[in-house]
Amino acid sequence: MKKSRLYLFGVLLLLAFAGFSFTAFKDSMTPYVSYERAREGDRVVQVAGALEKGSYSYAAARESLFFTLQDPKSKQTLRVRYKGLKPANFEDAISIVAIGHYDPKAQEFEANKLLVKCPSKYQGAEVEKTYS
Amino acid sequence: MDYLSHLYLPGAVALWSALLFSLAAMWGYALALSGDSGALSFARRSYSFFALSIFLTAVVLSLSLMARDFRIEYVYQYSGMDLPGYYQFAAFWAGQKGSFMIWLFWGTMLGLLVRRTTGRNEPAVMGIYTLTLLGLLLILVRENPFVMLRQTPVDGQGLNPLLQDNWMVIHPPIMFIGYAATAIPFSFAMASLWRRKYDGWAARAFPWALGGFLVLGTAILMGGYWAYKTLGWGGYWGWDPVENASFIPWLFGTVLIHGLYMERTKGRYRRANYVLTFLTYISVLYGTFLTRSGVLADFSVHSFVDLGISGWLTLLLGGFMALGLYLIVTRWKEIPTEPNEDPFLSRGSFLVLGTISILAAALLITAGTSAPLLTRFMESQSQVGPSFYNKVNLPIAMLVALLLSFVPYLTWKGTPWRELLRKMALPIAFGVIVAVAAAVWRVRDAFHLVFILLAALALATNLQKTVDKFRAGGIKALGGYLTHVGVGVILLGIIASAGYDKSTKVTLTQGVPHKVEAMTLTFKRFIPRVGREKERMEIEVARAGQKPFMVYPKMFMNDRTRQMMVNPDIKTSPFQDLYVSPIEFDPGQPKLQLAKGQTGQVGDMEIRFIRFNLEMEGNAMVAMQQGKPVTIGAELAITRQGRTVNATPLYRLDASRGTFEAPPLSLPGGATIAVAGINAGSGAVQLDVSGVASPARLSIDVTEKPLIQLVWGGLYVVLIGGILTLIQRARQARVLEGLEVLEG
Repeated sequence: MKKSRLYLFGVLLLLAFAGFSFTAFKDSMTPYVSYERAREGDRVVQVAGALEKGSYSYAAARESLFFTLQDPKSKQTLRVRYKGLKPANFEDAISIVAIGHYDPKAQEFEANKLLVKCPSKYQGAEVEKTYS
Repeated sequence: MDYLSHLYLPGAVALWSALLFSLAAMWGYALALSGDSGALSFARRSYSFFALSIFLTAVVLSLSLMARDFRIEYVYQYSGMDLPGYYQFAAFWAGQKGSFMIWLFWGTMLGLLVRRTTGRNEPAVMGIYTLTLLGLLLILVRENPFVMLRQTPVDGQGLNPLLQDNWMVIHPPIMFIGYAATAIPFSFAMASLWRRKYDGWAARAFPWALGGFLVLGTAILMGGYWAYKTLGWGGYWGWDPVENASFIPWLFGTVLIHGLYMERTKGRYRRANYVLTFLTYISVLYGTFLTRSGVLADFSVHSFVDLGISGWLTLLLGGFMALGLYLIVTRWKEIPTEPNEDPFLSRGSFLVLGTISILAAALLITAGTSAPLLTRFMESQSQVGPSFYNKVNLPIAMLVALLLSFVPYLTWKGTPWRELLRKMALPIAFGVIVAVAAAVWRVRDAFHLVFILLAALALATNLQKTVDKFRAGGIKALGGYLTHVGVGVILLGIIASAGYDKSTKVTLTQGVPHKVEAMTLTFKRFIPRVGREKERMEIEVARAGQKPFMVYPKMFMNDRTRQMMVNPDIKTSPFQDLYVSPIEFDPGQPKLQLAKGQTGQVGDMEIRFIRFNLEMEGNAMVAMQQGKPVTIGAELAITRQGRTVNATPLYRLDASRGTFEAPPLSLPGGATIAVAGINAGSGAVQLDVSGVASPARLSIDVTEKPLIQLVWGGLYVVLIGGILTLIQRARQARVLEGLEVLEG
């Protein structure tokens, strides 16, 4: 009698935790999306692309970096703003992943994290660093 | 034959012999299993030759690397002339093929030891174990590491600069011993199911499970240390898929150890232990599949590309899953069980709850790591961020700490509340004191305070029990408790260093003090490369009432790849680490353009351009008309601290080749000056000045990480506790061996 109540409690606890985990899972998901999808601006997403040549500027005083990403396939572009110090070797990046959300007012993607891949001839060892 | 001519035969032949001998060993073990007693010695001999072949394969690969034989593609891809000997050797495991090779190498060598501990089960255990090795071997036979290039390059491509670190020499091989070791309990368990002999395997597999847990734990500790100390990732753990791929088997292994302990002491967990050996081994294969097949290439910092082995890895994973599940499902009903009749407040119940908790953590981390795979067919592929792992693991860690606090004073039969609380009075007082101290310090989050209370409680009860055990009988039976002390220490270290670190990103101007929190940071100077010592930044850190000290983070260009490399510097003090990682360096060396008679300022130097001198090495105008190389001098008057010197840096132009040369000229005070260009139209000279106090700027990330030493210290305690337990369990397994011999 007492034991079965204990089991019931345990099962309920497990279910509650499973629900909690599922929510945490969904909340921390950052899907890879197209620029169009990112422009809907309703959630945190990640976008990837190449740095458009000569498109970046860095405002040292405000520590803000602005650049344009270009989708290698569709050739679409997306203007990105990143508040933070300019990552080393940023100019040489072959591919950049920006994680954040689209700001419809400024018509810019506001990144709070950047993953910068620099060219490397090493197989499978592109030097990639995360900046947040 | 074309294929053959492009293989380095000494290595390839050794590898093929290994395949042959491993198949022979399998066949021999299979015959022995079906009752042919003569086949066993054949199988043993075959296995020995298999091990010898693998050993030779590894020797050939190492020698090729040491000899820098760039004909071999693998050597060409991962090493180079400029690499010191130990990195040249470490290039062995720098690539995929070499990683599988070292894994297979350890696996095969471990097999030589495993077969001495199998007792009468040798044919079944070793048969299955050899099968797991065969899976790896097939990958290597297909992706042969001895493929040769059509032409011999003069130099290799070098080793990825990020891997040129002392930890690269030691961390990966240890990791692969841990990986290889997970196949051992799996083989024991599957052999037991195969033969329908459900007793005895747990005692024999126990030391191996403990050994694997220890080695893998050591490797994870080293990996975290590497990430923290040299890679400048800011922390020891980032929930990256590659990190998770080693952590998940370790967690399953932790559960397995507790399951085996239950089986050995109470005869419980007999079914579960089969599943747990299965999960531990399969999670290694699954992690390898995730990180090596390219499915996560876009999501991991380590990003491995697909080498064309995804198919093989899938087959390997699927094959062993099918084998394991088939055996477990078909034998399930036959496996003897003991009913759970423990009262709630007993060691048995708490162990069950604890193992379920850790199992839940392992499964959740697996789910998180698999997110890109799980969401592959959804609208958009996703990964989950660190927040998921932190959120779900925090309550689990709290529950585990709570359970750990009680376990030492719970008996199997059950302990009444009153007695429990009496024995735990001192530890409870300790936990409360620690929590109050944390609240006074700066922990305001109630959830975190409870976490700290529980972690301190777990530490204290287990420490008290460790001391009691030590007084009662030496170090024989205290390993488990000591391990749990370590867990409490680690949890305290994690919450303090990860939850209460203070990170600031600042840009420092050379020589100008900058306030960050309670510190004053001054970027003193850039120190150029001296010998093997890379370029460093000197930063002074001053705190009120303390002697100022220097930190030297490194920032240098890799000569080969032109990549900017960054190494943080860490100042460790008793209660915290100060972690300084460079982000960007602007040397601030100005280019000066001066017209004739004009004066410019660089730092504390005043530079006046007097005139061009065309008579430095013969008349420049004549040389130019003859099409010969031309030398022009720029006559400068340089005033520093009231003293004026004259200097004439040269500019040599070879118009026919289109090249020029401008040797830098040293100036008093350590600066150098060189002509960067001549503007013939305006008669102006461009000058490059370096090594002078023109304000250079350095951007850094400064982080204070409180009590991070507890993480490392706690891990050491866990490992020491594990070693003590291993010694004890290995002794018991040997006693069992003796009994079997007595029984005849």
